[in-house]
Parts: sequence; structure tokens; C-alpha cells
Amino acid sequence: MSAVDFAVLASVVGSIVLFGGAAALAIGWAFRSGQFDNFQQGAHSIFGPDEPIGEATDGKLDIECQADTPQ
Amino acid sequence: MVAETELPHYDREKAAAERAAIDGSCRGPVLFFAASAVCWLLVGSALALMASIKLHSPSFLTSTAELTFGRVRMAHLQAVGIGWSSMAAVAAALWLMCRLARAELMYPRILYVAGVLWNIGVALAVFGILGGDGQSVEWLDAPPYTPPFLVAALGIVAAWVVATFRRRRETHLYVSQWYILGAVFWFPWIYTVAVFMIFWSPATGVVQPIVNWWFGHNVLGLWFTPIALASIYYIIPKVIGRPIHSYYLSITGFWALALFYSWAGMHHLIGGPIPAWLATASIVGSVMMFIPVIAVAINHHMTMLGHFHRLKYSPALRFTVFGAIAYTWVSFQGAIEALKDFSEVAHFTQYTVAHAHLGAYGFVAMTFFGLFYYMVPRLTGREWANATLIRIHFWCASIGITIYFVSLSIGGWWQGRMLNNPNVPIGNIVNYLLPYFFNRSIAGVLLTIGHVAFAVSFVMNLAGWGKKRVGGPTYFVQAATTSPPVLMPY
Repeated sequence: MSAVDFAVLASVVGSIVLFGGAAALAIGWAFRSGQFDNFQQGAHSIFGPDEPIGEATDGKLDIECQADTPQ
Repeated sequence: MVAETELPHYDREKAAAERAAIDGSCRGPVLFFAASAVCWLLVGSALALMASIKLHSPSFLTSTAELTFGRVRMAHLQAVGIGWSSMAAVAAALWLMCRLARAELMYPRILYVAGVLWNIGVALAVFGILGGDGQSVEWLDAPPYTPPFLVAALGIVAAWVVATFRRRRETHLYVSQWYILGAVFWFPWIYTVAVFMIFWSPATGVVQPIVNWWFGHNVLGLWFTPIALASIYYIIPKVIGRPIHSYYLSITGFWALALFYSWAGMHHLIGGPIPAWLATASIVGSVMMFIPVIAVAINHHMTMLGHFHRLKYSPALRFTVFGAIAYTWVSFQGAIEALKDFSEVAHFTQYTVAHAHLGAYGFVAMTFFGLFYYMVPRLTGREWANATLIRIHFWCASIGITIYFVSLSIGGWWQGRMLNNPNVPIGNIVNYLLPYFFNRSIAGVLLTIGHVAFAVSFVMNLAGWGKKRVGGPTYFVQAATTSPPVLMPY
């Protein structure tokens, strides 16, 4: 087996180990840390008290925007 | 679910202050990458127009070697692939990770170094190709002195994304974070391996194109797609104020993409001298991609259901939903294109070019436009100055890419049918395609007009034009004419 062939094999095997191993580690971590325990919490995590569920956060076209919104 | 009026004012202000601090911490590097991306978009658009015109007017700009079709087309791919799309992806990844992790970006100045390195890399790629140093490897056309800059920049970006993730205050991962972490893991690996096995320690014979298209296909599905999907999964729920329809389905979609996508690259070589099992495995992988794509499509559609009227008001939503629809369409088309009977006609034709641009532009670029329309005002503290420019951008981009896709799909399909007919002289096929090439140039002009409008909007926003965002960078100006936000049941 030439040096180039060995390099090719190493790259291919390395990719399989790296990709597959990383996937296995990631899934394992996800289960251990409870990422799959509460899917609703996951879906809600992008919202917060300042941008709660039910409140749209964008609008520009066809809307007359106030210069100042009373605080 | 708590009504808006019941939320303690302190909670709302505290959360807004935290969000403002997060946005402030990543403002510089994100806007640097975003601005660089917009510049390369303009460069790539100019090169694209040149290449397109040359195909129906071969005597256009032929006086210099630098502007011949072969070089201009490769330079266009690098400018829009590694320049616009990738730098927009980095801006997206950094901002989304900071927001989703609820963590401020640390040591942001190092990301400026990454940005400079990336810009140098793209400049070397584009101008090196125009100067004649291009390499005839699809997607890896850049001269051999380019990769070190891109690998270094990519390494810094990937490290910073992971570092921000590790500092997270939000313990629960959102699906967008899965996609972003996947992308910053996959892309450095596939790029380094491809450059190593094609240029630095070249594999011989058929293994080279195999590695080429392993990289070329994976860069679409394991770099651009994850970050664009991460953006869509964030923008749609955030803009309409409604959680994603099924978080379980979104995670299923992510892992299905991770499992199936990397098998599909060999469908680019169907009919070529590759092992038969490799081609078959790639077709299986391509068709299996129906699973994550359907999962994503159901999720996006069901989340939007009842909220499509918001497309009228939100440019971010408009561009993003266009991108989401294009993703479904191009992925279904790609899976079918991989089937041998279909590939027998469509391969090596303009049909494939149309498909590639539906993906790279209709999906990826439109999605990143949507993200920029949401993200930039929140980083600069300024609203977009001119709604007309946004309208011009959207309609030119959407009509342009539609004309592009439809024209080349029709022309490319019949091109394939004629190529398979030995009684049709090649000159007839070339003449047949001329009107479709002309349509592509029309589409290119529209797209370029849209890009110029976008760039003008972007510069105006950075320069401080447009109304200040009231209440700080995270509050959006309330509409004067519509009723107060109605709490939507989910």
C-alpha cells in the first residue's frame, strides 16, 4: 500500500470514526442532560419575558411606525 | 401562558436588558461578517451577469484573458459561495448562538481577525482565479494559496461558536443550536479533508472526483443548509410569536439530515466510472432525504398556519418563508434527480444549474436575507430607512430566481432529451438554448437590482439612517394603525 493510499484510507476511516463517534457522543450527551425530556420547554426557549409567546416581533412594510412609543 | 399585561415590568425590562447586552457583545463581529457578505454579494452578482451574458453573446468582454467565461464563472462561484453565503452563514451562526444560548460573546476582537482572514481568502480566490490560478475542481476552484486563510478563519469561528455555547445560560438546546453546532463541526472537517485529498496529498484517479463531490454536496447540506434551517427555525416562531409546531419533529429532522445527507454526494457522478454500489448508495441516501425534508416542511407550514397574513408586514418573514418553501421544493427535486432514469436526462444540462441556483439562492440566500432584515436593526438600533427599497429587493429577488429556475429547468430538460438523441447535432442544441440563456440574463439583472437595493438599505442602516428603535435595541416599534398585539393561541 503506497503512502497516498494509506493517507486516503486514514482519511476515510477517520471521517467515519469522527462523524459517527461525534454523533453517538452528541446523542448520548443529549439524553443524559435531559434535552429530550421536555419538548415543549425546547420549543419555548426562544421566547422570554420581553418577547413572550403571543407577541409578534417584526413589522415594517405597510405599517406606519410611531416615532416614539410611550414607555 | 401569561398575558402581556400581567408580566411584571421588571421581568420584561430585565430580559430586554439581557438581550440588549447579548446583541451588543456580538454586534461588531456579526456586522463585520454581514457587511463583508453583502460586498461579496455585489461582486458575485457582477461576475454572474458577465458569465450569463457570455453564454448567449460569446463575444461579450473577450478582450482580456481575465474576463473569459471559464475564469469568470469560477470566480462567481467563489464570491457567492465562500464570500456571500458563507460569511452570511457565519454572521447568522454567531448571532443565533449568542441569542439562543443567552450568552454574551467573549473576546469579540479575535473574530475580527477571523473576518479579515476570511476576506483575504475570498479575495485571493476571486482575483487569483481571474488571474489564471484557478483549479478545475468544482467548489474548490480557489488557488492553492487560499485554503490556509479559510481554514484558519473557520477554525476561529467554529471555536467561538462552541465557546459561546459552553457559556450558555439557557440550559435547553433549541433545534437551531443543534444545526449550528453540526455545521461548525462538519464544515471544517469536510473542507480540510477535501483540500488534503485533492491538492495537498492528491488521491489518484476516480477517487479525486469522488472526494470532490463528497465535499461539493456536503458543503450544501452540512454547512449552508443547517445554518439556513437554524435561521428559519428561529425567525418564523419569533416573528409570529408562536412556538414551532412540533419540537420533536424538528429534532427528528436534524438527526435524519445528519444520518442521510452525507451519503448523497455521489449522485453527482451517476453514470461516471465509479463503483456501482457507491452510486446506488448515493441514490438511496438522496431519496431518504425525503424524511427530514418532510419533517421540516410540516413543521414550518403548521407553525405558519393562521399567520400567513403577517407576510404582508414583515420582510424578515417574507424572505424566510420564501426560503423555506424553496428548501422543500429543491430538496424534493434533488431526491428525484438522483434517480438514474431522471439523471440520464437531466445530468450535464442546464436543469442541474437551475436546481443548484434554486437551492443556493432560492433557499439559502433568501433565508439569509430574511435573517439580516430581522437581525441588523436589532444590532444597530436603527429601523430600516426605506420600505420601498425592501420591496424592490424582495420582488426583484423572488421574480428573478423564479424566471431563472423555470427557464433553465425547461431548457435544460429538453437539452438533456436532445443530448440523448444521436440524430440531433450539438449545434442545434446550443441554438435551442439561446433564448433560455437570455432569460437567465434577464433574471440576473433583476437579482442584481435587488442586491443593489439591499446593499443600499444595509449601508443606510449602518450609517445611522432610519428611525431609532424605541426602547432600546430589542423593542420593535409598535404599529400605529393596527390594533395592539393579540395573544395568539398555540
